[in-house]
Amino acid sequence: MARIRGKSKTAEILTLDAAVKKYALSGSQIAFSGFTGFNRNPFAFAWEMVRQGVKDIHSIDRHGSCCTWLLNAASAIKIFETDWMGWGEMAGKLDINLGRNYKAGKVILEDYAHGAMAMRFLAGAIGAPFIPYSAPLGSDLYNEKYDALGKAGLRDGKNPKIAKKKFIQMEEPFWGNGDTVLLPAAMPDLAVIHVAQAGDKGTAKWRGVGTIDKEISFACDKVVIIAEEIVPEAEMRKYPEANQIPYFVVDAIVECPWGAFPSSVPYYYDYDAPFMRVMDAASRNPDDLKKFLDEWVFGPASWEEFLVKLGAKKLLDLKAESTGYSTRMLRGKKPAPRMKMPLSVARSGY
Amino acid sequence: MAKSMEELMELIDKIPDTPAKPGEFILPELMAIAIAHEVHNDDVVFAGTGLPMVGIMTANFTNAPKATLIYESGICDGKTMHVPMSVCDQRAANMSSTLGGLVDTFGYYLQQGYVTLGFLGGAAIDKYGGVNVTSIGDYYNPSHRFTGSGGNSDIGTMAHRVAYIILQEKRRFLERNDYTTTPGWWCWDFKTNEWKPKKEVWKNTAYANNGPCGVVTNMGVYRFDAEGIIYLETCHPGVTVEQVKDNCGFDLNVSKLSGDTPCPTYRELFILREFVDPELIFLPAKTPYTPDIQAIVDKG
Repeated sequence: MARIRGKSKTAEILTLDAAVKKYALSGSQIAFSGFTGFNRNPFAFAWEMVRQGVKDIHSIDRHGSCCTWLLNAASAIKIFETDWMGWGEMAGKLDINLGRNYKAGKVILEDYAHGAMAMRFLAGAIGAPFIPYSAPLGSDLYNEKYDALGKAGLRDGKNPKIAKKKFIQMEEPFWGNGDTVLLPAAMPDLAVIHVAQAGDKGTAKWRGVGTIDKEISFACDKVVIIAEEIVPEAEMRKYPEANQIPYFVVDAIVECPWGAFPSSVPYYYDYDAPFMRVMDAASRNPDDLKKFLDEWVFGPASWEEFLVKLGAKKLLDLKAESTGYSTRMLRGKKPAPRMKMPLSVARSGY
Repeated sequence: MAKSMEELMELIDKIPDTPAKPGEFILPELMAIAIAHEVHNDDVVFAGTGLPMVGIMTANFTNAPKATLIYESGICDGKTMHVPMSVCDQRAANMSSTLGGLVDTFGYYLQQGYVTLGFLGGAAIDKYGGVNVTSIGDYYNPSHRFTGSGGNSDIGTMAHRVAYIILQEKRRFLERNDYTTTPGWWCWDFKTNEWKPKKEVWKNTAYANNGPCGVVTNMGVYRFDAEGIIYLETCHPGVTVEQVKDNCGFDLNVSKLSGDTPCPTYRELFILREFVDPELIFLPAKTPYTPDIQAIVDKG
């Protein structure tokens, strides 16, 4: 929804720990960039949040990620408004930590669907209070009985970030297209967006899929950009059509190379499926999980030290090739074959 | 010495396109190729992660090379060289036509009506093709909590037709789901609190006639009749009708059974093993070829 904004924002360049301290406030509503656990998760930011003991987060997202995995591992998420409770698809799927916290009544889970969350963020981004969407009629997602935030008494209008209704089904009033579903805009407190490059004024870009990161950046009150590299703003102005986020929505920029590990940043580095499997295995047993957190989250003195602990060999194996990903990392049981052209194109063209 | 991928490509047409015999392939291979057969060359396919993705990649390499593949993270028509582990994997975006985001895929493509085939998984399914990927038991205190909808409910209702791949067990094949994530041919009308044909609940919308067209399980292939009720079309080789019925939670219509699910051909298996998942991410192991096929591979 359109908010009363002050002047154009002036982005400040901060360190990772300063950005977390200033913007990741306990109890706030946060959205992370990327897609599931595989693509541009601002993992270093979530990692620093856990180290600083940020808690009671209302995570609003279209799925879990490496970030929510870690926050759930530290029981730092109180409300998870999402549509997919997994985080790593073929490397881990269901978030065991979230499942455990949910069973223990420590987290409220509000279900939507991918398309619905995308539309809610689009509404938030364009300043619309709600958006009509052809959400599935007859799905229990849009059954008034199943409204977790409502059941918890949180739709009383007291929290400006929680809509007074989960949805409204109504007859489409303009064209006679049957029933449609109105969804409330999503407009969280904070967006944390991991990008490939940011200019020192805040203009930002990535390569590969966009997921809903542009929408999130405009839908949230505050925007923190985590960049693989900060470059002179002039550099970003050479090919402005390749940029997605204009500087005036950005509050802070953090330079954090490899900051999306173990997820990928296309054309920079690939995801680390074996590491994600280690995370998944650790979450299956509270003792193993504590060991994992002690070793990988609380152990290193800084993110740089975390990377040193990963080792040069690992980082080299993950480094992207001209395709944008790496074929040196063992993802399955056999190494990746050396391909020159996709089979479909070789045999049938486009 | 191991052959290059280009040399293996040259061999494809020399491998006979005749059905393999039971025992010469494993169940995940049969299932992946069975779902690949659902794809037509002129389809715009929107697929979820896992087996559905492997299935359409196989289709794109065999029977439907011109099909357009959409992945929900924003990928339009990726030409994949290495099997992706996620729908946002850069591997899936290789040589794509355009790269956008979720608003593109769910709005511009799906809600707009461009997607002809959805390809999805599910935790449980009812006899009308309604799918549950959310929870078993009481929603607020479930005995099992699954991942939740993801794109399932959107794709499963706005694509013109939808194919599901589901593990078949008595507790997963149900008269009615505990929670309907994606409605099938019958669903609740929450306004009147009546269980109705989906066509009536969705009356006047652009999607009223969309719905499930097929289900592939580890035991057979299923279709839906004019009333929107599931029936058994074929049993996988070696599976009996009794076994299928034993693993179904309702009185299954088996009267339209038309024999065994066709076995994958040697060529399809070659493509699946050498080009779709040679890294063994989704397939548990590489099944040995028969001596005849191995001879072709070796001599080339």
